[in-house]
Formats: sequence, structure tokens, C-alpha cells
Amino acid sequence: MAGEVRPVNRYGKPMAVGSVVLAVVAATMVLPFIWLALSALKTRAELVAVPPVWAPAVPQWRNFKAAVSEVPLGRYYLNSFIVAGAISISVMITSAMAGFALSKYAFRGRDIVFQGILATMMLPSFLFTIPVYYMMRHVPFAGGNNWLGYGGMGLLRSRLSMILPFAVSAWGIFLSRQFIMGIPDSILDAARIDGASESRILWSIIVPAARPALITVGIYTFISQWNNLFWPLVVATSAPELATLTVGLKMLETSFDPNRNAHLILAGLTLGIMPVMAVFASLQKYYVRGITMSGVKE
Amino acid sequence: MRSRTRAAWLFLLPALVFYAVFLIFPVVSSLYLSFHEWNMLTPPLQASSVGMQNYTHILRQDPVFLKALWNTLVFVAVSVPLSIALAVLMATLMSRRRFAGLWRLIFLLPTITPAIALGMVWRYLYRPNYGLINTLLNAAGIASQPWLNDPATALMSIIITAVWAGIGSNLIVVDAGMRDIPEEYYEAAAIDGAHGWQRFRHITLPLLKPTLLFVFVTGTIAAWQVFDFIVAMTAPTLGRAGGPVNSTMTLVVYMYQTAFEYLNMGRASAMAYVLFFIVIAVSLVQLRVFWRGGVENY
Amino acid sequence: MRRWLSILLALLIFAAVVIPVVSAEEKTKLVMSIHTDFNREGLDDYIALYERLHPEIEIIKEVTPFEDYLKKIQIDAVSGRVSDIYHVYSLWGVELVRSGILDRPPAEIQEDVRKNYVPVAVNGATVDGQIWGIPTEIDNYCLVYNKRLLKEGGFSEPPKTWDELVDMAKKLTKFDSKGNIRQYGFTFLAGWDSAVVHPFLAMLWSNGGEYLSPDFKKALFNSPEGVQALEAQLRLFREKGTDVNGSVWDFPNGNIAMMIMAPWDENNLKTTMEDRYADVGVAPIPVMKKPATALYTWFAGVGRASRHTKEAWDFLKWMTAQVYGPNQTTRMGDYLVQSVGAMPSRKIDLENHPKELNDQYTACFVRELKNSVAEPNVAQGAEIKTILMNEIMSAWYGKKDAKSALDSAAAQINTILARYYK
Repeated sequence: MAGEVRPVNRYGKPMAVGSVVLAVVAATMVLPFIWLALSALKTRAELVAVPPVWAPAVPQWRNFKAAVSEVPLGRYYLNSFIVAGAISISVMITSAMAGFALSKYAFRGRDIVFQGILATMMLPSFLFTIPVYYMMRHVPFAGGNNWLGYGGMGLLRSRLSMILPFAVSAWGIFLSRQFIMGIPDSILDAARIDGASESRILWSIIVPAARPALITVGIYTFISQWNNLFWPLVVATSAPELATLTVGLKMLETSFDPNRNAHLILAGLTLGIMPVMAVFASLQKYYVRGITMSGVKE
Repeated sequence: MRSRTRAAWLFLLPALVFYAVFLIFPVVSSLYLSFHEWNMLTPPLQASSVGMQNYTHILRQDPVFLKALWNTLVFVAVSVPLSIALAVLMATLMSRRRFAGLWRLIFLLPTITPAIALGMVWRYLYRPNYGLINTLLNAAGIASQPWLNDPATALMSIIITAVWAGIGSNLIVVDAGMRDIPEEYYEAAAIDGAHGWQRFRHITLPLLKPTLLFVFVTGTIAAWQVFDFIVAMTAPTLGRAGGPVNSTMTLVVYMYQTAFEYLNMGRASAMAYVLFFIVIAVSLVQLRVFWRGGVENY
Repeated sequence: MRRWLSILLALLIFAAVVIPVVSAEEKTKLVMSIHTDFNREGLDDYIALYERLHPEIEIIKEVTPFEDYLKKIQIDAVSGRVSDIYHVYSLWGVELVRSGILDRPPAEIQEDVRKNYVPVAVNGATVDGQIWGIPTEIDNYCLVYNKRLLKEGGFSEPPKTWDELVDMAKKLTKFDSKGNIRQYGFTFLAGWDSAVVHPFLAMLWSNGGEYLSPDFKKALFNSPEGVQALEAQLRLFREKGTDVNGSVWDFPNGNIAMMIMAPWDENNLKTTMEDRYADVGVAPIPVMKKPATALYTWFAGVGRASRHTKEAWDFLKWMTAQVYGPNQTTRMGDYLVQSVGAMPSRKIDLENHPKELNDQYTACFVRELKNSVAEPNVAQGAEIKTILMNEIMSAWYGKKDAKSALDSAAAQINTILARYYK
């Protein structure tokens, strides 16, 4: 963000006390992560020392090795990546299509559909959990089921059960609709005169033009799905091989005896969040845009 | 024209199919389930009907549900306004400083990290005998607090963490909203001799109203469904999620336990509907109150 | 952009669908569900040995933390995932049998269980008069104390009565300048329902009280004896012999003088205390009126939905019932005493493991078997115990007095019992 020109002194001269407050709150934002990184390198005894020690005397790098040898962090990462990735791509595509339909076509029922989609954001997700779980089990022909949907586990042993319930996002549709509305109709009309089909217009004109919005939708969706716990936890209870990273991090507590192995739990946590944090931080721009676009530009 | 209408519906088709399968059908089934006793082991149509009994039980005879309802209410009522207030304060302090991007990144760190991991880290920070927080308190001459270990302070401890984690996303929206306020207003106010607080009170706050409404409504809907922090901070050491002594039991945690630990799907569905009506009612009230206030102030 | 997206989408759908597909089955796979604390060193060796002896069988362990284990078994049933073998906590037996999760053992196994296992363990594996599995481990509770701390406090012997314990705990508790406890005279086991409820039951029984009526229609623990037992616990809090922040898991750090603990903690203590393990002493739980302690059991059963019930029972027979070797023990017995640190329930294993069962830690638990009362197998056992745990803890926290806490628990539990025992 170098070279950003900030409007100076909206409220007069900055006060020192303001700087102090800002610095203190910012410090609390970082402190837990620093504590985590340092503690992941401590011995068991250092974690329960009285008075507490800040930094390990000798960094215990083998904590990481021990944590990884017990917990399949790699598989959690892979599962999270596949699930969050597939959801993001599906959300991007369906948002582009629905956003296009809801902004550039006039047809009866359009506004009702749009408002209906927006209203779904108010529904607590637990309202769907039980029926969707039951449905996923009884998908015909999947996972050992017969044509009636009985006999096996259905999709509950497949990542599809984690992906499908999030494949469309009301927020994504809303955001891409707002963006596509800003694309001039004249371009579309010109393409139509050239004989372009409607789907060609979508893919060759709308999608490239709405790219910033769609990338934002994709990245924002990816991050929020990466951090999602509830539904993956429900599914992974009977399909541990599908556990995503959040579920895996939760299981750290119970797969290591927390009373003896706090250092390993903290090492696992560090490995589970720090690398992703670096990646997500570098995508900050898109994430910020995702939040602000939905909030302010109404 | 008809072909265009057809194209629009075709583009909408994936989203509509999704909403029919993963939203409308489950929501209707949940309503059906909420009047039945069902453990998911038998076909749902054979479930025995119990009339309103699920609802009367949870609202009249289930002290844990009422406790969860109260706790959730406290959580929403305290954490959402507090987090937004801090976000406004931080955004204001940031707005006249350099390195705004860096500050923002610092505040974003908790937002892009899974809540389950944040909760786990904070649980270690809160440890009564070895935790960082009590260490700092002792260094400042304050006696140790039991934090998560005591029913009197457990919910408050979780609220602190949730507020801490929630500042970032609110801050970004608020910050963007503040940037959209034209500089001229402040210049004019400066000429009129209004001091900092007056400028904030009479320019920033009124013009920020739509933004605040947005973060308030979305933040409230999310807060009703708090789950990750509770699970992360109370499950491993205090018996089960929601402890000690149900002092941090929230609606979604209790629904999760009712459904997936006691296999009481009907009762859990009834709880989901109670939550649904609360969310809708509160959101409508918020919108009303805010808009009325908004119109008067402009 | 479009081509990109479609390629990525295709890849991800491919990955989502194809990766979980398992290779073609050749062997008979037996999925064995166990909980984390049962997955100790040595189990894999037995499995490997069995697979060598029976090349057509492959045994797959599914390990779940204790906290999530009952939930996992139930959700498995709901999701259609089948385990062939379950190792379960006896208290869950009623629910698992009612949900149709367990398979009835073959007659010869029932016969063997009835004849060769100690009666408490047979009762543990029995629901509605029917045996549902092969008993495995037995656990009860004793007082575990730190000899060094007791000696430093001027005590040469562990307490014999609860009054003595309260008195000693008070003297053994040390505070820092801020008023925080730095050394605990006593800490309560906590963290899950049984942890809180079992020691309370031990004291209730020691005080001559009863838990539930024999027909399971009524809770009886809120009798004067029960209130007195909880009162006795509360005295520790009031007289500063403990507080709610104490944790038994700090015992290895050497700042806890006494706790009530089960046999399975032996390995934890050994590995974390190393040379200071010699400080560990074990004594019967101090009595109120008569010696008593609480006991619970586990058993191994077969899933009713399993397609290989015969193979599953065969493996269990080999593991738990076949006596072998110069010591004339079973493999399960060896595994329990050597790796898990629990007591076996087959009579021959209790007799033929003198070395492990008479050591510094376990000997007291074995001696206390004669004073042990088993926790009953009641419907909704987990839910009932959660209620009781919460009410006991609210008394610990000073939110309720002993009588109103137990009365409230009894009222809630009675409504549950009324649903199941008419």
C-alpha cells in the first residue's frame, strides 16, 4: 500500500493518545500469534513453568516433526484445498451466470428471484443441516446405495457431500450482479448484432469484464470455506478420511493428550495456520474488496 | 426476446436447482421434523408425530435450552456492538496515519485464521495457572482470574475473544465507508471551526449509517450462530462444549449436541426454527429502528 | 479465463470424486472402532500377528478420541458407515443395543463370558439380561498421592478418612503472594462426565447412599447420605484445600499432593515423571462410613450391520478368550496390563499377571476390587451423567448448595427415567 495518499487531518491534529491506543490494540492482534509461534518451540516443562517463560531456552524444532508424525496434516491440507477450491470455482461460475441473468435481462419474476436469493442469507444454517445430511446419505447409486438410495453411505464418504451444499452463494450472486450492472449494455447489443449467442456473450464478454468481481468472489469464498468448521465436522465424524484442516485442528486437542502434549498441539496449530496466514495475507487486497464491495456499494 | 428470457432462466437454472434442493426442501423438511420424534435411523416418514411437544418441551421444560438462549442473547448483545465500536474507533485512528495498509493487515490476521484455531490459542492464553493473560495481570499487580474455568467468567472470556477476532472484518467495511465520505465536508467543518469530536459526531457518524447498519445486521446474524469459539474453548477441558455447567452453552452448540449426540432430530429441528424466528425478528427490528433513525438524522 | 476455469473445475471434480475411491477388495476387511486411550503400543503387533495367521483377513483400526467416541458410533449408524468390531464403554450399552448397533454374540461366547469373567464385568456387558460382548478392561478409583509432598508437609501416611483428607489438603496447599494456589493439597478429576460423577459415587456409596433405585425408576443420590457426600467435597473448596483451577493433569509437575485417579493413568505418570515416578503413592479412597469405590467396565462387541460377523467374533475370541503361552494369559489381558495400564476382567488374567498387577501403582486398585461398586447400565446413561456432572460442578463453583444441586439433578434425571422405565 505504499504511495497511498491519505487525507490528512480530517479531525485536526492526531493526538498522541490515539497512537498509543492504536498501537496497543494492534499489539493484542499480533501477540497471540507470536506467543503461539514461540510456544510451539517450547518443551512440555516450559509450557507449565512458574513463572512462565517467554521464549524457549532451546528451540524444540522436533515438536513439529513429532506433531506431523502423529497427525496427517498433509491430508487435511489437501482436503481443505480440494473442498474450498471446488466450492470457490463453482460459486464463481454460478455467480457469473446468475448475476448476469439478474442484471442484464428483463423478465417476469426477476426481482422476486433476486430478493428471494438475498433473503436466504438470513436463514440460520442449522435449518438445513439435518435434512441435507440425510439426503446426502440417500443419494441413489452413490456410495453403495441402490436406486432407492438405501444400503450404503451415499455421498457421505465423498468430498461432494462437503462441496455441494455450498456450491452456490447468495452473496456471490449479489456481488457479481452489482458489478455486471455496471457493464454498458451497448457492448452486449453490439455483440448480439454480430450474431453472438447469449452464452457466448456471457463467457466472452461478461466474464472477462467482471473478472475483478469474480476473482474477489472466488478468493473470499475460498478463505471463508477454508475456515468453515460446522458442516465439515458433521460429515467428518463418520468419514475421518475427509477431515478438512479446521476439523483436523479441532482433533489435535483430542488426538494428543492435551495435558501431556500441549507443546505438540501448539506445534500442530502453528503448522496448520501460519503458512496459510501468509498466503491469505498476500491476497489481502481481494479479501478486503470482497468485504467492502458487499457492504458499501449498495 | 423470448429466447433471451429463456437464456436468462437457463443461466439461473443451476442456482435455482441448488436453492430448491439445498434450501427450500430442507427448510420444509425441518419444519416437518420439528413436529416429530425422529432419530435418523428409521425412514423419516415413519417418524412418530408428537405435535407441538418438541416446542413446548424446549421452551417450558428444558433449562439447558433456555440457558443457551440466554447465553446466545448475551453473546449477540455484547459482542456485536462492542466489536463494531472498536472497529469504528480503530478505523478513525487509522484514517489519519501512514501505513494504513499495514495496520489493516494486522487487524485482518485474526479474520483470515480459522476461528477454531484462534479459540484454541486463546484457551491456552486463558489458562488460570500458567496462562499469558494471568501472567500479565499478575505483573500489573492484579490477582489471577479463573477465566474459562468459572461459570461466572467463562462466557465473558469467550466474548472477549470473539470481539478481538471480529474487529478486523468490521474495520475493513467501516474503513471503506469512511473513505467514501467526501473530504469537502471536513474542510467545510474545519472552516466553521468544528473540532475533531464534533466533526466525527456530525459528519462521519451520520454518513456512516448505511455501513454501520450493514455490519450490524450481518454481524448479528452470524453471532446468533456462534459455534466454533465455544467448541474450541470449552470442549476439551470442561467436559463438553458449553461448559462449565452450561455457562457457555449456545443455541447452535446445543442443537448440534441434541442432533448428533442424543440423536433427537425432531427436537433439534424445533430449536432451529425457534432460532430462525428470532433471527428474522431481530433483523427486522434492527432495520426498522436504524432506518427511522437514519431518515431523521439526515 | 473460461478455459482455465473449466480445466481447474474438471480437475477438482475429478479429485473430489476419484480420490476417495478405494482399491478393489481382495481381503476380508474388519473395521475395528476403538478410542484413543485404547490405541497403545502393542495393539498393532497383535493385529499384525493375526493377519499373518489369517492372510485372508485385514484389520483396520478406526481410532476416535474418547470425547467424540459415542457420538461417532451413533453418527456412523446414522450415516450407514459400518464398523465390524466395537470396543465400547459399558454405560453406552443400553443405547447401542436399543439403536440396534450391536450384534448378539454366538452362544459359545456368551457361555464363555458367563463362566470365565468376574461378575462385575459380566454385568457390564449385559443389557436387559442378554450378554452383548466380551468384557475387556475394568477401572476403579483410588487415592493417588505424592509421597514427597506429603513428607514435606509432615505426613508419613496417606489419609484414611475423608476428614483426615480435608485436613491434610488444607495444610498441603500453598499460596503465592497474589493469593494464587501454587501447590494443591487436593485436586478433583474433571473434564468429562464420569470424571466428576465417579468419585462422587464412590463417596456416596462409602457414605451408605444409593445412586438409582434398582428398577431405574428413580434417582436416589439426593438422599441425606448423598448430600453429606457432596458436602464433604465442598469442604475442600471452602477450606481452601483445592479450587476450581486445579487440574489433576498437573500432578506430574509435582505441585499436587493428592487426587482421586483410575488405573489407566499409570503410563502417563510413568512417562511424564520419569525418575520422580518413585514419589507416586496409591491408597484406597478415604472412607466416609465404609470402604467403597466406583467401578466401570468396557466390552468388545460386533456391529450388527457387519457383513463379516463370524470373522469379527473369531478375531475377538483369539484376542480375548484364547489362553496361551507359559504364563497362561490372554492377549487382551497382556495388552491391558502392559500397554493400557488397566485391569483385565478375565479371571485367569487377574490371577496370572502378578508382576504387573502388584506393582507400585496397580496393586491398590486390584485390592480395592472387593470394595468396588459397578456403575449401573441405565438408559440414556451419558445424558444422565452429564446432568449430574453439571449439578455437582455448580455446587463446586458455589452457585448452589449441595442439597439443591442434587435435588435439581434428581428432578431432571427422574423425567428422563420416566420416559424409559414405565
